[in-house]
Amino acid sequence: MKQPRFALTRRKLVESKLFFPLVVLALILLFDLLFVRGFFSIQTRDGNLYGSLIDIVRNGSTVALLAIGMTLVIATGGVDLSVGAVMAIAASVAAVLMNPYVLARELPPNLMSLINDPTFTFQPLWIVIGVTLLVAIICGLWNGLLVAYVRIQPMVATLILMIAGRGIAQLITNGVRIQIFYERYSFIGQGWVVLPFSLYLVILVYALAWLLNRKTSIGLFIESVGINSRASFFSGIGEKRVKVLAYTFCGLCAGIAGLVASSNIMTSDAFNIGMTLELDAILAVVIGGTLMSGGRFSLLASIVGAWVIQAITQSMYAFGVPAFALQAIKGVVVILVILLYSEQVRGLLRRVSVQKEA
Amino acid sequence: MRKIGSLLSRNQRFIPLAATALLAIIAYGVGAILYPGMRDLQVFLNIFRNNVYLLISAIGMTFVILTGGIDLSVSGVMALTAVASAALLREGWNGWAVILLMLAMGMALGATMGGFIAYLRVQPFIATLAGMWFARGMCFFISDDAIAIDARMWRILGQTRILIPGLADPHTQTGKFVSIFMVVSFLLLVVAIFLAHLTRFGRTVYAIGGNEGRNEQSARLMGLPVNKTKVLVYTLNGFCSALAGIALSVFVLSGHGLYANGTELEVIASVVMGGTALSGGVGYVFGTLFGVLILGITQTLIQFNGSLSSWWTRIVIGALTLMFIGVQSLLAARRRRRGGVKVTDAAARAATRKRRQVYGGIAVALVLAGLAIALIAKPPQGGLGGNAATPKSSACQLRLFRQELAAEAMQAGAVITYERNGGPDCIDEVYAIFPDGRITGDDGESKIEKQATAEEVELLLAGIDGLGWFTDEMYNTWHTPCGQCYGYYLTVSYRGTEKTVQGVDGGTDAPADYWQVVSLVKGLVPRFTATP
Repeated sequence: MKQPRFALTRRKLVESKLFFPLVVLALILLFDLLFVRGFFSIQTRDGNLYGSLIDIVRNGSTVALLAIGMTLVIATGGVDLSVGAVMAIAASVAAVLMNPYVLARELPPNLMSLINDPTFTFQPLWIVIGVTLLVAIICGLWNGLLVAYVRIQPMVATLILMIAGRGIAQLITNGVRIQIFYERYSFIGQGWVVLPFSLYLVILVYALAWLLNRKTSIGLFIESVGINSRASFFSGIGEKRVKVLAYTFCGLCAGIAGLVASSNIMTSDAFNIGMTLELDAILAVVIGGTLMSGGRFSLLASIVGAWVIQAITQSMYAFGVPAFALQAIKGVVVILVILLYSEQVRGLLRRVSVQKEA
Repeated sequence: MRKIGSLLSRNQRFIPLAATALLAIIAYGVGAILYPGMRDLQVFLNIFRNNVYLLISAIGMTFVILTGGIDLSVSGVMALTAVASAALLREGWNGWAVILLMLAMGMALGATMGGFIAYLRVQPFIATLAGMWFARGMCFFISDDAIAIDARMWRILGQTRILIPGLADPHTQTGKFVSIFMVVSFLLLVVAIFLAHLTRFGRTVYAIGGNEGRNEQSARLMGLPVNKTKVLVYTLNGFCSALAGIALSVFVLSGHGLYANGTELEVIASVVMGGTALSGGVGYVFGTLFGVLILGITQTLIQFNGSLSSWWTRIVIGALTLMFIGVQSLLAARRRRRGGVKVTDAAARAATRKRRQVYGGIAVALVLAGLAIALIAKPPQGGLGGNAATPKSSACQLRLFRQELAAEAMQAGAVITYERNGGPDCIDEVYAIFPDGRITGDDGESKIEKQATAEEVELLLAGIDGLGWFTDEMYNTWHTPCGQCYGYYLTVSYRGTEKTVQGVDGGTDAPADYWQVVSLVKGLVPRFTATP
């Protein structure tokens, strides 16, 4: 009687979506513990914590934010390729709202000093953040409407905003790389309250998504739409509205990520902010065990997936691998992970284990 | 009227193709009416010459999309080909060997991704996304910096002008011409059309795609070699990407891992605009030619307009892609209605009404967006030269460029003329540097002169030549200058060749070496006291 019960718990553990990403994260950290000196040292300065581990959490927060939204979209059986472009749009909107004078050709002298005044902002911060997030939500809504009501394939529908989005971002800033001088804005990406402020943002968004998905029936609806959209429709779930909601939420997450990214470098760089981050976000979700075909998802596993990516990145930096060359490694990792989850390999593994038992 | 209707319904599959061709012709016609410069046949030929790598890549992509798949790795493979060939050529490899090796590499990459997709059932866009990361990452393992290509074969490939008989003078080597790769790409197009419509392979490709994967099931049940065909299709696209990469490296005569960034989007957009359905199974390779043409005409129009910035290209292409996808889904819906099960009249009417509402809504949104764009894009007042920038709060009036002054100086024997226009004070300065070291400047109000040595001038010229001034790596770019930005015209005459390149600072579009040249020249010319 005891044997099966133990087997059941072990199986539960192994089949939990969190298991695999946590194991990978642990392996990478173990690797760092052995080969990178001082990787685990954490200093305190002014009561705040600093160190490589904290850096992983901080630098991974943009991807983690994107991954939360992307998880919901992928769970409905779709994908959102436009998150990077939406980040760029959000950063541009925020920068223009804070300092529109940068765009002017000639300023009266009394305004000239305002351009790089760290205490000056054209609109108060809450309006800046509010309007930026509103724009991001509209971007997400647009994707959702195209996917749900116009019935364009998700990849293609979001591809449109991915193409046009960077153009729109450059349009907003008139093609200028706007430097942001407003001091308080930097807190979003660079602030610390014992731990980096961006980590709290991740936790906040996660809590919001968790409440939405697990305390209401929306999470269940999303999974059912992802598993079989038609069957969900026949069983009375408003699958279109569910999809729109998922994409809109993804847009919101991308907007927050855009704020964090632009606050990190205090510049709105329409061309580079969020470049290829949509790929990182998808990779994080895939590592987190959510199938690309949709269905069951785990938000926490996706966040751990984002940290796994950041941990790999950081370890590679420690070995002096150039930033761009990392992409090659990421490419191999994503294929390996997908293969690991694929039916073919799972079937093979199952057959091997059955043979062993027999 | 009924005749036209029946004609349309009988040839419905040609509608997207016809729409594309019509749109291309209209766009070019409008351009030709507005900008006399566009009437030149060479400008039309240059649309193909500048986008030849896009056409080559789009041909391969058409096959992939016809099977219902997608390949996001094309830009990565293109960059990898450019970097790897540049590195191998630097090592002194034979040009033909490099080309063959690169094509083999592209095919191997394509076959690997195809294998993952066909046999391991990885989703196409994930497998090819990983392929793109891999390819781009490998570029930076080869080299962090751009590698210049100095091989004679590449120069010949890039600079040979194939003159068009009857439109050019073979003695003076002037007149209308096409490049070698244009010929190659059109040969590829012919081969691709043959492959798609007259071979068993092509028929299988069409059979696999469409109907949300159900056709693939049918194709399997019919005993068609689905997996093998899929691998072949991705291999073919790998071949095309590698060929496109070679065309790109020949065009820019260098290789770097960030080249062709985002090209996969342009390629996919061209294929879609060419009338190929992204769900697969419907479309023509021939249409892709028009898709590329529309993209090229859009770029040319924006260049000719001058007051529109380069990023408008992306917005317009996004909007056009959306429009074509809309047309496709409309046609698909009609097909479904006709072929589907008979529904009761009332239900059908309700469905039609609902669909009409949705499409009406989209149409209204599109019209509104178009109006908004038209309002925003309206050229600001006072910008007679078409180069005016930010309309609001412009305290000073931009002046016109005075290239005629520069031309006069060149006639008088100057080797370099340099014009700088704009900035916070709306200046316009024209400098001319003569071989004996005399430098003159003119800002419209006063003149300035400085005497440098002849050696300094010779050194400067050699430096500019060394930065690749006379290669295709230096090309014209233009966007609306921002309030603090300047527009530049720089003409250099060295060893019998003369070339003018224009650019605007404050953006990322101009070639990086252009600013090095500008700063070299700036270092030598005198300064007007009024401008910093």
